[in-house]
Amino acid sequence: MLTIYHWEPNANSGKPILAAFEKGVDFESRYIDMLAFEQHAPEYLTVNPNGTVPAMLHDGVLVPESTVMMEYIDASFPGPPLRPADPFERWRMRWWCRYFDQVVGPSISMFGWSFFVGPAMRQRDPEELRARIERIPLKERRIAWSKAIYGTFAPEEMAESGRRIAEGVGHLEAALAERAWVAGNSYSIADIAGFNMLAGLPLMNAQVANDTATPHLMEWLRKINERPAVRRSFALGRTELVRRYAHLERRAAGPGGAHA
Amino acid sequence: MLELYHWEPNGSWLKPMIALHEKGLPFRSHYVDVLALEPYPDAPRARETRLPLEGEGPVLVHEGRQISESLFILEYLEDAFAAPALRPTEPILHARILAQGRFINEVFMPAVSTLGCQRYLVPQLKARAATVAARAAQIPTQYLREGWQSALADHYPPELIADSRRKVALGVRRFEDTLAGSAWLIGSTYSLADIDAFAICNALPTLTPDLVNHAATPHLLQWLDRVRARPAVRAALAMSRTGQPEQAFAPGPEHSRWG
Repeated sequence: MLTIYHWEPNANSGKPILAAFEKGVDFESRYIDMLAFEQHAPEYLTVNPNGTVPAMLHDGVLVPESTVMMEYIDASFPGPPLRPADPFERWRMRWWCRYFDQVVGPSISMFGWSFFVGPAMRQRDPEELRARIERIPLKERRIAWSKAIYGTFAPEEMAESGRRIAEGVGHLEAALAERAWVAGNSYSIADIAGFNMLAGLPLMNAQVANDTATPHLMEWLRKINERPAVRRSFALGRTELVRRYAHLERRAAGPGGAHA
Repeated sequence: MLELYHWEPNGSWLKPMIALHEKGLPFRSHYVDVLALEPYPDAPRARETRLPLEGEGPVLVHEGRQISESLFILEYLEDAFAAPALRPTEPILHARILAQGRFINEVFMPAVSTLGCQRYLVPQLKARAATVAARAAQIPTQYLREGWQSALADHYPPELIADSRRKVALGVRRFEDTLAGSAWLIGSTYSLADIDAFAICNALPTLTPDLVNHAATPHLLQWLDRVRARPAVRAALAMSRTGQPEQAFAPGPEHSRWG
């Protein structure tokens, strides 16, 4: 029995969900409302003591880290392979997953938290928020939540994140100009990780990701967006967040055939 | 043919040196004088290896393909040369190795590296400060360039040192607790998990003796001895040219930006 505890089906929460749907693995979906701080509630901490989302249980055993969950799903269940057979392409898959996790992802989520999570949070009672932050188990997450809630990301931090997003998009565009998928000739968990991090970018940072500057990246996002597994994944969303990805729908081709 | 570009057998450099010996794979060793900041390998860097995510580290070249990031070099060697296996076949154990690897690369190693650079790299750069400064300024990756410049200026704010010591203590406690109940870090056999952690921990009895010693971490010290006794590990450590590999530190990886 596979259980995935997740928030909205994007970013880290989207990774194991999409991997499971691609693989055709049945799983129980448990929605954890991050904006209600359900991830720091005692019931959830018995599942994942770190209080981070997503978490995944397989026959009662906790599988750590969203990127690792995808490797685990691919290794444990039958279905279409999500990791290249060629050792070099598999290495490249891991390299890009690390680049997304360590460099690009945190920068994008700083924008996401600053513009989406923070404003939503500041509607709440300040005393309650203070108490909520106190209860967060990991020091790193306490700092991050506190910055997001009080809107205290320094301008230099935001600028540096913007620089890293632009640089990451540039690297990815160049790689996708050379090959169909991030790791090589086949769709892999590196594409799943990248899509979940970057799908909102043409909306959030349109000056960086658009049809003129990054045509290969845009085509790659649209191609993944059309996959049936992505549709099933998005259907698990409960907020506006995934509906924003409508910008990736191809319009019916007009006389020019453009999909702007 | 396998070629390994490496420095002293310590930290990231040590991991593939151990794995190649464990697997009995013949390889051409290219010893890189990292403190000279000269480019390597001989061929131009490929798109991915141009962007170091673990800081200064080894590059494996296999049939013309460049492979970087020390834990992922170990994974590559497992994928390309299965026997003798250094990776458990159970998916959950492999998952734990990868998760431990993320903790090492994003929390533990940046902290050990900061303390090691402050102690050992700073004095070593004094004699060649001018050359290093000129070359460091050319490094395209920002955190790496700044890492070298901090070492040149001996710039390590007290908060950074305190935070690094906190992170080292966190990792040391985690490894000691695991090793109190098990001979090896993940699963019941020696694996990539032990190579990944040993390469970083081998320097700690001299670098942070107040955190790693017989009273505080007896199991961690016994595990270091157990790993060090392996012929492959001895062979890798014997490739040192300085005789003090545990003092070889260069900048990286970056401390996590979110605290």
